[in-house]
Amino acid sequence: MQPLLDVQNLTIELTTRDGVAPVIDDLSFSLNAGETLSFVGESGCGKSMTALALMGLLPANIGRIASGHILFEGDDLVQASDAQLRKIRGNDISMIFQEPMTSLNPVLTIGEQIAEVLRAHQGLSRKAAWTQAVALLDAVRIPNPKGRAGDYPFQMSGGQRQRAMIAMALACAPKILIADEPTTALDVTVQAQIFDLLGDLRKQTGAAIILITHDMGAVAEMAERMIVMYAGRKAELGPVDQIIDHPRHPYTKGLIECVPHIQSEMSTTRHDLVEVPGIVPSLRQFGKDQCLFASRCRYLSEACLASRPKPQEFANAQSADCWHAGDL
Amino acid sequence: MSDLLTVDNLTVRFEVKRGGGWGKKSYLYAVDDISFAVKKGETLAIVGESGSGKTTAALAVARLVNAHRGSVRLGHEDVLQTQDEDLRAFRQKVQFIFQDPYSSLNPRQRAEAIVREPLDSLSSKFAAEKTQIVEGLFQAVGLRPEQQRLFPHQFSGGQRQRIGIARALATQPELIICDEPVSALDVAVQAQILNLLRKLQKDFGLTYLFISHDLGVVQHMSDSIAVMYMGRIVEHADRMSLFTAPRHPYTQALLSAVPTVDRVKRASQKRILIPGDPPDPVNLPKGCRFANRCPMAQELCHQQEPALVSNETGHRTACHLVS
Ligand SMILES: Nc1ncnc2c1ncn2[C@@H]1O[C@H](COP(=O)(O)OP(=O)(O)OP(=O)(O)O)[C@@H](O)[C@H]1O
Ligand SMILES: Nc1ncnc2c1ncn2[C@@H]1O[C@H](COP(=O)(O)OP(=O)(O)O)[C@@H](O)[C@H]1O
Ligand code: SF4
Ligand code: SF4
Ligand SMILES: [Mg+2]
Ligand SMILES: [Mg+2]
Repeated sequence: MQPLLDVQNLTIELTTRDGVAPVIDDLSFSLNAGETLSFVGESGCGKSMTALALMGLLPANIGRIASGHILFEGDDLVQASDAQLRKIRGNDISMIFQEPMTSLNPVLTIGEQIAEVLRAHQGLSRKAAWTQAVALLDAVRIPNPKGRAGDYPFQMSGGQRQRAMIAMALACAPKILIADEPTTALDVTVQAQIFDLLGDLRKQTGAAIILITHDMGAVAEMAERMIVMYAGRKAELGPVDQIIDHPRHPYTKGLIECVPHIQSEMSTTRHDLVEVPGIVPSLRQFGKDQCLFASRCRYLSEACLASRPKPQEFANAQSADCWHAGDL
Repeated sequence: MSDLLTVDNLTVRFEVKRGGGWGKKSYLYAVDDISFAVKKGETLAIVGESGSGKTTAALAVARLVNAHRGSVRLGHEDVLQTQDEDLRAFRQKVQFIFQDPYSSLNPRQRAEAIVREPLDSLSSKFAAEKTQIVEGLFQAVGLRPEQQRLFPHQFSGGQRQRIGIARALATQPELIICDEPVSALDVAVQAQILNLLRKLQKDFGLTYLFISHDLGVVQHMSDSIAVMYMGRIVEHADRMSLFTAPRHPYTQALLSAVPTVDRVKRASQKRILIPGDPPDPVNLPKGCRFANRCPMAQELCHQQEPALVSNETGHRTACHLVS
């Protein structure tokens, strides 16, 4: 079966004061209909850039697709005409941003904003669009949706705004919903509601979800497969449960171990957390022909500095870009 | 160990413009009659949703915001009454670490000056001694000596938080208030800072008031936990009791909402959703403040506010259904 989305050898270059750097460096992955795929990694590793590339929203004049393909239902978005792109992005692929305030229009009511999307993409009449907008607010469990549709963004709580954003993203019944850290600014109880909502919507509409997050717990609860990103490159890819049970890349292992996860079996003694020393390299370092994790890795050997690691594939569909993946 | 910090009936209110009618003032009770104690050398975590009053409570303890009522004692000292020289001495004993390592450091000062600042303003030490203290602090928080000369923008987020920690340690405080000290950091850096905070606690016998919304972090860092909701403490217990046997419906919902990589926990835990929003803090309803979202609410809950009651093990809960 052809995947819904097939990204092949995607490289995105950013031009900054320091020169040109591959902020996404030879990334390949696929996404099937109805699947949830998660991107994890520390900030600055290129998660949002990947999302923006899929949406065609790379920063103007700074970012560009240098090579590779983004096949959506077989059509290459990299080659497509502007008209084609507009049709797909917005109708078939839509995105929820981390900070809803920046992507909602402060001077329009929530209902008007959703209705406008419906009119533009589905050609609904003013009245039909409003009715549908209220129904969408109801679907994302905004209490009293008829009344709240007339609210401005600032009149809503953070969680409600995020739900309104989701309603707007759903207005065109997308086949892919990209959620970039949709709950980072929210309380856990609100986060639980949003996750629940995304899960239900996926069941009802069959949409595929790309969830970008730095929380392994969220990945474990929400996604079937995950991609760990490091310095613009894939570090590891595979089924979530398998990776959590047995990470094959030292970075993945570090990401899982360094977090004080809430535990079912608590003990009175507490050990120090495992540390991954150092920090993500700066953009200037991206693109070097070596392992970019080397300076932080306790499995480092000469091979790691000699060339960029090739993906090591495992029988369980796990794949890790590390020369020593087999030893982990 | 004896209690270092004792807070009794602490109330902080802010005057707000709306709802008061003609010329009548109305108040938001951000912290409403809370009491707790922290033993010397231990960590009390305060958790609760945004706006529940965690930061305000901490600010009142540190005398960075005025308390409306109640008392705060550090050792035997009545904190809210101290003035002048005593207040200066108090400020040396209680220090703050803030959430945002970017905005909490003066961008125009060198790291050494930032760390030395509390010594300059609160102590009467000689320059040579201060220099020596700053040197020691840089080492204690894992920064290199030559980094003293750098400015904040030349540091990473984690390093900036280390500077903030060094600054907080400068006056050899007894109590350090950490308000979301790692929330702005990446997980790997977060682990470095959390380990550092625990090591410093051991080395210097520090007492922490630790505010965090990350319950995994809280489970790792704290000895006891106070859960706040709408300005009140609704549950307060030691670490083991609170995480293994939470009693308040809000705490139960909170713990059930944490996503986890622990498959056993995930399979066994049923998420308790609490729909809706907390009530308007300026016009609180009668009865339990959690009643409009509580899955267990009963008639009585809408009539009468439950008191925070302790059981025989010292586990305190404010709920009509828990005795
Ligand atoms: N200076 C102020 N003036 C008026 N109201 C305030 C002020 N500071 C805080 N509040 C209000 O007091 C309540 C408690 O705020 P506080 O900052 O203590 O919450 P918090 O628990 O620290 O939340 P968060 O998790 O978002 O940091 C909120 O309703 C807040 O809006
Ligand atoms: N508009 C921009 N101009 C210059 N650099 C950028 C821009 N947006 C992102 N970057 C850089 O690209 C890298 C990857 O960023 P991003 O995809 O946002 O990371 P993530 O989402 O994983 O935190 C970072 O080094 C970031 O600083
Ligand atoms: S290739 Fe080498 S340095 Fe890179 S992650 Fe693997 S072991 Fe570590
Ligand atoms: S007092 Fe009633 S409403 Fe409040 S937490 Fe207990 S059961 Fe729920
Ligand atoms: Mg991002
Ligand atoms: Mg706060």
